[in-house]
Amino acid sequence: MPDLPRKKVGLISCSGEELPEGTVTRRAVRKVLETLRPDDTVTLCLPLFLAGGEGERSFARFYPTIAIDGCDKRCAARATEKYSARPAVSIVVSETAKAAECRDIGTARHLNEAGMRLADSVAGLIAEETDRLLKKAGRKTPVSSAAVVGCSCNSSLPSGTVRIHGRATRISGLPLIFAQHRDQGLGLDEKTGTVLLETVKIYNEVPDGQQQDWTEALVKEYAQFLKEKV
Amino acid sequence: MSGTRRKISVVPCSGIGKSLGAAAREAAFILDEDLRPDATKIVALSLLVMGDEQAKREVAGGEAVAIDGCKLECAAKGLACSGAGRVHKVAVFDVIRRHRGLKPEGVCDLNEDGLKLARATAGEAAKIVDDVNAEDGHA
Repeated sequence: MPDLPRKKVGLISCSGEELPEGTVTRRAVRKVLETLRPDDTVTLCLPLFLAGGEGERSFARFYPTIAIDGCDKRCAARATEKYSARPAVSIVVSETAKAAECRDIGTARHLNEAGMRLADSVAGLIAEETDRLLKKAGRKTPVSSAAVVGCSCNSSLPSGTVRIHGRATRISGLPLIFAQHRDQGLGLDEKTGTVLLETVKIYNEVPDGQQQDWTEALVKEYAQFLKEKV
Repeated sequence: MSGTRRKISVVPCSGIGKSLGAAAREAAFILDEDLRPDATKIVALSLLVMGDEQAKREVAGGEAVAIDGCKLECAAKGLACSGAGRVHKVAVFDVIRRHRGLKPEGVCDLNEDGLKLARATAGEAAKIVDDVNAEDGHA
């Protein structure tokens, strides 16, 4: 059976090399990836939006994202929106530090104790937002089954194109979704459209008011898929 | 040595997923703070990527060193797109080939091999800085 990726939250940190707040973003993101929510989060280097290909740029269209910026220039949030899609959440460390009256946090190379505490605090904030986005609110204990935490460099989800209202619409994960449902024995009946749409919605944003159109298009495409794979 | 020379911009990649990206970042700090503090200045790649005017002014037309962790070379590409006059590339993935046996691990906190790799990378970058300054008559 194909291994359809689970829905996760993408974390984009600015990693700003000039400011200690940039190092806080980086350390906070790594803490969430390694310790707090390793099974629910992935990351991507911010400059990959510029240097990478479509796989990298489709990142935020596939994952809801949290942008974590060191300063109010908000490079991570703006880059995510410019090259991929608007981030679901934007956190600015300098504002968090100001609210916590945290002034001296060390240097970009070496955070001091206060800087480390600030990074922990930001990591907690990211974990809370992750839970909210995945509708897992209320969790307190870090959950981990991952031995190694990696980034999403060069990883992209295969997509398929379906005509909806006469317009070619790209749907992330479509080949895997179809294959998984076929392997699970989903045939063509009155429930097929609903089942397909529910899975597709995990990985794609279906515009309001277009669910019926999407359902009909998916069923038509799935019928073709089944015919070709016999 | 002239006191008015323009500092060489140093841009490390922002690699956050792998140890080689972390080594690139650490190498930039070693170069800028320990080895050649009077000759270099770190410019944040995220600012260049987003076209920050001040960051672009700092690199425009000047000499720059890109320190990249992986073959995608985000730092070198970011500098090239930002109008740097000449981009000198230092690739951590090449440096590690010249230092066989190193097994860098960690991202926020590099292990000892990771720090050794960062120091070796910074050393190669420092040589480039010296060569550039020698060309310009600042040696």
